[in-house]
Amino acid sequence: MLRKILTLAAGAAALTAASLATTPAMAAGKNICVSWKTFQEERWKTDEAAIKAVVEAAGNKYFSADAQGSAAKQQADIEGLITQGCNVILVVAFDSDAILPAFQAAADAGVKMISYDVLVEHPDALYVTFDNVGVGRLMAKTMLEKGKQEGNFAFIKGDKGDPNATFLFQGIMEVLKPNIDAGKIKNVCETFTDGWKPDAAQKNMEQCLTSVNNKVDAVISENDGMAGGVVAALEAQGLAGTVPVTGQDGDKAALNRVALGTQLVSVWKDSRVLGKAAAEFANMIADGKANTDIPNVGKFNSGAKGVEVNAVLIAPNPITKANLNDVIDGGWVTKDEVCAGVAAGSVDACK
Amino acid sequence: MSTHAHAHKHPTEVPRSGPPLIEMKDISIAFGGIKAVDHASVDLYPGEVVGLLGHNGAGKSTLIKILSGAYQRDHGDIFINGEKVDIANPRDAKALGIETIYQTLALADNVDAAANLYLGRELRTSWGTLDDVAMEAECRKVMGRLNPNFRRFKEPVKALSGGQRQSVAIARAIHFNARILIMDEPTAALGPQETAQVGELIKQLKAEGIGIFLISHDLHDVFDLADRLTVMKNGRVVGTARTSDVDHDEVLGMIIAGKCPPGAIPGPGALQSPAAAA
Amino acid sequence: MAAIDNTQSPALEREGAVTRFLRATEIDSRMLGMLGALLVIWVGFDLASAFIRGGDGLLGGTFLTPRNLWILLVQTSSIAVMTTGMVLIIVMRHIDLSVGSVLGFTAVCIGTMQVYWLGPALGVGHPAIWIITLVLGLALGAAIGALHGTLIAYFGIPSFIVTLGGLIVWRGAAWSVIRGETVAPMDKNFKLIGGGISGITPGSIGATASWVLGFIICAAIVALIWNGRQQRKRFNFVLKPVWAEVLLAAAGCAAVLGITFVLNSYYWPKGVVDRWAQQTGATIPPEGLNISFGYSIPVLIALFVGIAMTFVANRTRFGRYIYAIGGNPEAAELAGINTKKITLMVFSLMGMLAAISASISSARLDSATNALGQFDELYVIAAAVIGGTSLAGGLGTIYGAMLGALVMQSLQSGMTLLNFESATKDMVVGCVLVFAVFVDQVYRRRVK
Repeated sequence: MLRKILTLAAGAAALTAASLATTPAMAAGKNICVSWKTFQEERWKTDEAAIKAVVEAAGNKYFSADAQGSAAKQQADIEGLITQGCNVILVVAFDSDAILPAFQAAADAGVKMISYDVLVEHPDALYVTFDNVGVGRLMAKTMLEKGKQEGNFAFIKGDKGDPNATFLFQGIMEVLKPNIDAGKIKNVCETFTDGWKPDAAQKNMEQCLTSVNNKVDAVISENDGMAGGVVAALEAQGLAGTVPVTGQDGDKAALNRVALGTQLVSVWKDSRVLGKAAAEFANMIADGKANTDIPNVGKFNSGAKGVEVNAVLIAPNPITKANLNDVIDGGWVTKDEVCAGVAAGSVDACK
Repeated sequence: MSTHAHAHKHPTEVPRSGPPLIEMKDISIAFGGIKAVDHASVDLYPGEVVGLLGHNGAGKSTLIKILSGAYQRDHGDIFINGEKVDIANPRDAKALGIETIYQTLALADNVDAAANLYLGRELRTSWGTLDDVAMEAECRKVMGRLNPNFRRFKEPVKALSGGQRQSVAIARAIHFNARILIMDEPTAALGPQETAQVGELIKQLKAEGIGIFLISHDLHDVFDLADRLTVMKNGRVVGTARTSDVDHDEVLGMIIAGKCPPGAIPGPGALQSPAAAA
Repeated sequence: MAAIDNTQSPALEREGAVTRFLRATEIDSRMLGMLGALLVIWVGFDLASAFIRGGDGLLGGTFLTPRNLWILLVQTSSIAVMTTGMVLIIVMRHIDLSVGSVLGFTAVCIGTMQVYWLGPALGVGHPAIWIITLVLGLALGAAIGALHGTLIAYFGIPSFIVTLGGLIVWRGAAWSVIRGETVAPMDKNFKLIGGGISGITPGSIGATASWVLGFIICAAIVALIWNGRQQRKRFNFVLKPVWAEVLLAAAGCAAVLGITFVLNSYYWPKGVVDRWAQQTGATIPPEGLNISFGYSIPVLIALFVGIAMTFVANRTRFGRYIYAIGGNPEAAELAGINTKKITLMVFSLMGMLAAISASISSARLDSATNALGQFDELYVIAAAVIGGTSLAGGLGTIYGAMLGALVMQSLQSGMTLLNFESATKDMVVGCVLVFAVFVDQVYRRRVK
C-alpha cells in the first residue's frame, strides 16, 4: 500500500516538473499560439509552416495544440494556451458557437484572439480568412463560365456542423439563383456529407445518380476530398470528364484531376498566403496594434448572429486547366504531380 | 454397507504383483503462498478404486488436477507403472491414459455431444476436415451403452439434463482406452437410479483392470465402491486404509480431526496424539 | 438394419406445417427470418421511391433495379468481408474495436507503396505492382492482428482495451504515414478490386463468366447436398426426405442463377460503351450495345471470403476450437486445446480481413485517405450482432453476419436514395440495431 502511494506521488511530482519545464518563459519575444481544430486534413500543415516561419522570423515563439475534431478538447486547449502565457492565440474553430466562452475567457485574461479561416462571432477577435462565401461564388461562377449553365445540378455539401459548408452554399446559390429562378438549373440532389469524407461522398453520389438515372449535368462539390469521391462515382457510370465537378483546397490529387479533365476547378486558397498574413497580424497585435489598425481590415457581419467583427478577407484563386501554371509556379505542387497521366500536348501547363 | 472392523492391530497388507498403476510421491503445490497440497503421496493399483476424502479445500481436487495435467506440481514425482513421468498439460495426461471427469463436467455448452466427446482429438477425413458423421456414429455407440434412452445428439449440450450431461462427460472419459480414470464427485448431481448406474459402470471398469480415483464427500458411496481410501486435511494426507479395515466414524474422525485410526496407515497430516496409540 | 434417426427430438404431439417443414429441411429459421426482413426492406424502399420519383424498378421505384442492387452489393462488400472475422472474435468472447483504424492504416500503406515507391521504381502501371502491394498489405494486416492477439492471449490484457488502444494508435499512425494528404491515384490494375472501371476495363467479370460461375456454384450446391446425403448413408442415419433435398437444391440454384441474372442485367453506361468502341475500334449497332457487368470483383472477393470462413468455422478443427473456447474456455483448456494460440490466430486473421477490406475500399475510391474506414468497426460489429452473433460468446454464423451487413447497407442506401438527412439515417440505423438484437433474444428464449 505504501509502495503504491509513493509511486503515485513520484509520478505526480514528475508530471508537475515536466509541465513546468515546458511553460514558455515570459521573457524575450512574444508567444504566438495556434489552436487547430484537427490536423487530419492535408492543408493545415502548410498553414502551420507558413505561420511558424513568420512568427519565428520576428523573434517570437510558436506553440500549438490539436483539438482532434472535438469542441470540448478545443476549449481545454485554449484554456491551456492562456495559462501557458500566450499573447495572441489564432484559432481554427471546430464549433464556432461552442468556442465562444473560451474566446471570452481569453478576452478577460487580456489575450488577443484571431479567428483563422473559421468565423467565431466574438467582437474582439480579428477574423482572417479566405472569403468563404467568395469561394462559393467563385465555384459557381467558374461552373457557369467554363462548365454548364443549365441542366440538372447536384450539390455535395460538407459536414452539416461546419459553418463553412453553409457559407459556401450561400455563395454558390447567390450566383446560381438567376438561372435557378429562370428554370434553367434544376437542383436534383442536395446532401450534407458526414465529416467531409470522400467515401461518404462517393456513396451519396452513387445514390444520386441512381435516383435520377444518371441524368446529372453538373456537380458542385464543396471540397477536393469529396470531389475525389464524386469523380469515382461518375467514372463508374462513364460520366467522368463530361460532367463538370467543382472543388476547393488545391489538393494535389484534385489538381491532377483538373489537368486530366475530370474536375473543372479547384478553388485554391494558398494557405501559405493566409498563414503568412495571419502570422504578420499576430506579430503586430502582440506588439500592441489594435484590430482596427491592421492593414486591409474591414467590417464583417455576415455570420449567423450578425455580430460585427474586424476582418481581413483574402482573395482565393480558382484553378482551372487554363491557369494550372499558377500552382506550379507558386511552388505549391510540382509539374509532375499535376501532369501525371495527362496525354501529351492536351494541357498547356504540362507541355 | 460395510461391516465394522474390530480392533485390527495393523492395517492388512494386500499381496500385489507389479508396481502400482499410479504413484504420486511427495507432491507439493502452492498458490500464492498457500500450500494447497503439502508433500502428499497416494497410489493406485490396476483394477482398484481409491477414494479420496476430505473437507472442502483439503486439497483433493488440486492433487487430482496435477494428475490430469491442469496444474503443474512444484515438487514431487509421479510414476506410472514404476516409470517416472512428466505431465505438463492435459494432452500429456491423456497420452498417458489418464482421463478425468471433472466436477463441473468441463463440457463446451454450445456444441453437441459428439463434438464434446471428441473435443481436442477430433476424427478427421482424409482431406483433413472434421468427420462429423463418423464422430456422431461413435458417439451413438458409446452413449448407447451408457444411456440407451439418449436421443438428443444434434442439440447443444446446454439443452440436456444434468444426468445426460454427466453421461456425455463419462462417455468422453471412457472412450479413449483410459488406464486411469479420475472421477471428481460423479454422483453429486444425480438421483438414486443414475447413481446406481454409475456404480455399475465403475464395477465394470474395475473388472477391465482400470484404476479409478474417486473423489467424493459421500461416505456411503466411498464405502460401497472403493477398495481403499485416502483422507486429506489442509493439503496433507492424514492416512490411507482399506475400506474393510475402517468404519464410518473412524473415517469421519480422520476427515474432521485428522485422527488416524489403527486400521489406517498414517500420513504426514495425521494427528500425533497419545490417545491414538496402536 | 433399421436407420438411425438423428433428426428427431422427442416428437411433439401437434406440430404446425411450418415447423414440420423446417425440421424436414433442417433450415435455420433465424436465417429465414432475416431473409424475410431483407425482402420487406427492399420492397419497402422500392415502393417508397416509386412515390417520390418513379423509375423502372420491379415495383415502380428505383431500388429494385439491377443497377441499384449491383451497386448495393459492391457497397456492402467491405463490411461483409470484415464481419466474417468479427463473428469468430465475438464467438470467442472477445471484441475488436480497431478494425476501422487498421483498415485506414493498411490502405494508406498500400497507397504509399503504389504511388511513391513501386510506381517510380517499376514504372506506373507495371503489372506486378498490384499483386506486390496486395500481398504486402495483407501481410501487414495479419501482423497488426498478430500483435493485438499476442497482447491479448499471452499478456492477458483484455481485448476491449487492446483493440481500443489499437483504434487510437493505428488511426494516428495512418496520419503519420501521409500527413493528411490524399494518396492518389491507385495502380490501374489494383483499381479493379474496387469494382469500378479502369480505363475501359471493368472491375467485373462480364456476362459469360458470370453465367459460368453461377452454374458452377449451382453445381457445387447440388454436390454438397448429395455429399451430405452420402455421408449420412455411411452410418445409416435417417436421411432428409427426398423432396426436401430436391427443394433445397432447387431453391439454392434458383437463388444463385437469379442473382446472376440480375447482375448480368446491369449494362455498361453509354459513355463507357462509346469510349470502349472508340478505343477498340468496334462498331456499335444502331440499337445500342448491351454489355453486362456481371459479378463485380469486390463481390466475388466477399463471396469467396464468406465461403472460406464458413468452411473454416464448420469443417476445421480451428473453427471447432473457436466455438468450444467461446462456449467454455476452461473446458477447452482441459481438453488440451491451445487457447492462446487460437486467440492469436483469430486476431491475426481479423487483421488480414481488414487489409482485404482496405484494398476494396481504397480501390473503389481510387485513393487512400487516412480517414478511410473511420467508424467501420461499429458497422462490422452491428452486422455480426444483427446476424445472430451473441455478445456473450459461443454463438454466431458467418452467413448470418453477411446477411446482417446486407440488411444494414440496404437500409443506408435506401434511405440515401429517398434523400433522408444524415442525422435521420444515423438514428434509424441505431434503432434497427437495438430492435434486431431484441428480436434475437426473444427468438432464443422461445426456441429454448
